Amino acid sequence: MRPLRIALTKGRLEEKTIEMLSSLGYDCTSLEQKGRRLIFPIDGGKIEAVLAKAADVVTYVENGVCDLGVVGKDTIMEMGGTFYEVADLGFGRCRFALAAPKGTDFYAGYHTRRIASKYVNVTRSWFGKKNMDVDVVKIEGSVELAPVLGLADAIVDIVETGTTLKENGLEIVEEVCPVSARLIVNIASMKLRKAEIDGLIRQIEEKTAR
Amino acid sequence: MARYDRITPDGTRDLLFEECLRREQVISRVCGIVRSRGYEQVITPTLEFYDVYSRAADYLPQETMYKLTDGRGRLMVLCPDGTVPIARLAATRLSEETMPLRIWYQHRTYRMLPDLKAKRTEIDQIGIELIGASSLMSDLEAVDLAAQALESVQENYRLELCHIGFFHAVMDRLEAPADVKEEIRLCIEQKNYAALSDLLEPYAGQQAASALHRLPRLFGGPDVLEQARGLIDDEAAHRSLDKLERIYSMLCELGLSSKILLDLSLVNLADYYTGIIFKGYLDGIGTDVLSGGRYDRLLSDFGVPMPAIGFAFDADLASQAAPAVGRPGPDAVVYAVSEEAASAAASEARRLQREGLTVILGTQETEAEALAFAKAVGAGRFIPVWEEKA
Repeated sequence: MRPLRIALTKGRLEEKTIEMLSSLGYDCTSLEQKGRRLIFPIDGGKIEAVLAKAADVVTYVENGVCDLGVVGKDTIMEMGGTFYEVADLGFGRCRFALAAPKGTDFYAGYHTRRIASKYVNVTRSWFGKKNMDVDVVKIEGSVELAPVLGLADAIVDIVETGTTLKENGLEIVEEVCPVSARLIVNIASMKLRKAEIDGLIRQIEEKTAR
Repeated sequence: MARYDRITPDGTRDLLFEECLRREQVISRVCGIVRSRGYEQVITPTLEFYDVYSRAADYLPQETMYKLTDGRGRLMVLCPDGTVPIARLAATRLSEETMPLRIWYQHRTYRMLPDLKAKRTEIDQIGIELIGASSLMSDLEAVDLAAQALESVQENYRLELCHIGFFHAVMDRLEAPADVKEEIRLCIEQKNYAALSDLLEPYAGQQAASALHRLPRLFGGPDVLEQARGLIDDEAAHRSLDKLERIYSMLCELGLSSKILLDLSLVNLADYYTGIIFKGYLDGIGTDVLSGGRYDRLLSDFGVPMPAIGFAFDADLASQAAPAVGRPGPDAVVYAVSEEAASAAASEARRLQREGLTVILGTQETEAEALAFAKAVGAGRFIPVWEEKA
């Protein structure tokens, strides 16, 4: 059987995950000196890691080519899918928020609001729960620009400190939900390799509980 | 205007040669197994009226169905599952039959799915339904056939069992609003331990809450049953566990102990299933290839309350896990060297065919071309036929 394979979201989540795994006693040196490799052996090859963009982590895990993945709750909420979400890793903390130009009353008046977001599904379902019809516009880059340019009444985006919002004259109208890094597991892997995966989850849980 | 005349729709594909052979092999093995246990085939249409599925909205949401209308404007669907049409049959044309009914089907089913996630919209299913029996023996039969179906494809299979009664009994004990309960169910389904803890926090004093908290971890070997018993004092919950344990031990007596897993948190179709639930996994396939269980309520939707159990096996996924069969060339190419030899060649082909060989008749203009063709397709033998036999 091949080693357990874990997909890590490139960038900050990757660093935090490596930190966490190292502190649990896993040897992650191959991930510190990457070179041109695509698959990185952890602990002498007992586990293999691959690095991917957030959305691809979900895709790899859902299709079973990776058994586990570390990815932000934001991506999970936006993409949906069928997999187990077994642990909140506690890092990569931020929140989804609805933000509008400072001083405007988002809920005043009767016109249909236009909302810019990179997370169109999150936006749709949140407003859907409020029974509110809105036009959702997908923006790939700096979403804050959309209300400044007059394209949208407000944005739904992930907010960490709120500095970017402030700098662009926006303020939070409402918080949608908190976001953090999650450990996800392929459904078949969870059943077929229970002992290995359970062991890892327990270690991580003990660590995050501390 | 974009023309889509050289591709197939997303989520569908052409199966060629070896892929067809593999699938045929999987299907013939599985149908051989169920036939030999007295199951009879029915074929229901690919198109059904939407109304047949309208009551199934809880587990087959309307956005997952392909819809079209007939000449009189009535809404129809491309069949999204194999069980509901059989429930329809059981309630109508089969209602006077001797019970229990044992039915198998092979059906292409259609589900509308999100784009570009490597999921298929067209799924070839093979399934069974055992209708009109609720005994432990009928549960055992269905689960045993599921195990045999999986084994016929791959030795290294796993079959997972659950009894939804445990979840329902614990949930009934929990004093919480319905929408919170639904969120709890979702977290258990996804094994979302963190969110489940948060959701259950306000109910921390209740025994049911701590049982639900443990539920997503209650999977693995038979020790799961003991753990579950200790979690709640509830007669219905314990009855469900007893049932599950009896089936589990029967399967162990059939020598399947290394193949069977228990998971008390298979709650994704909690409102559809009413008793035992099972799912099958094959090595190398990242999702379940077989899924089934007891659904004693479905037939009442059609006005004939009857217990039933069944499963559907995904022949496409199973074929991917089946061993490769290659693309065998014909055993022989028979070639008529002249027009006069044509009938002699055809009769030679018939003779070989009766011996059980695969024979291709050469249709080329010259013998050299026919020989080249025979080589190209990997024929075992090249048989030129010269003239009419006396």
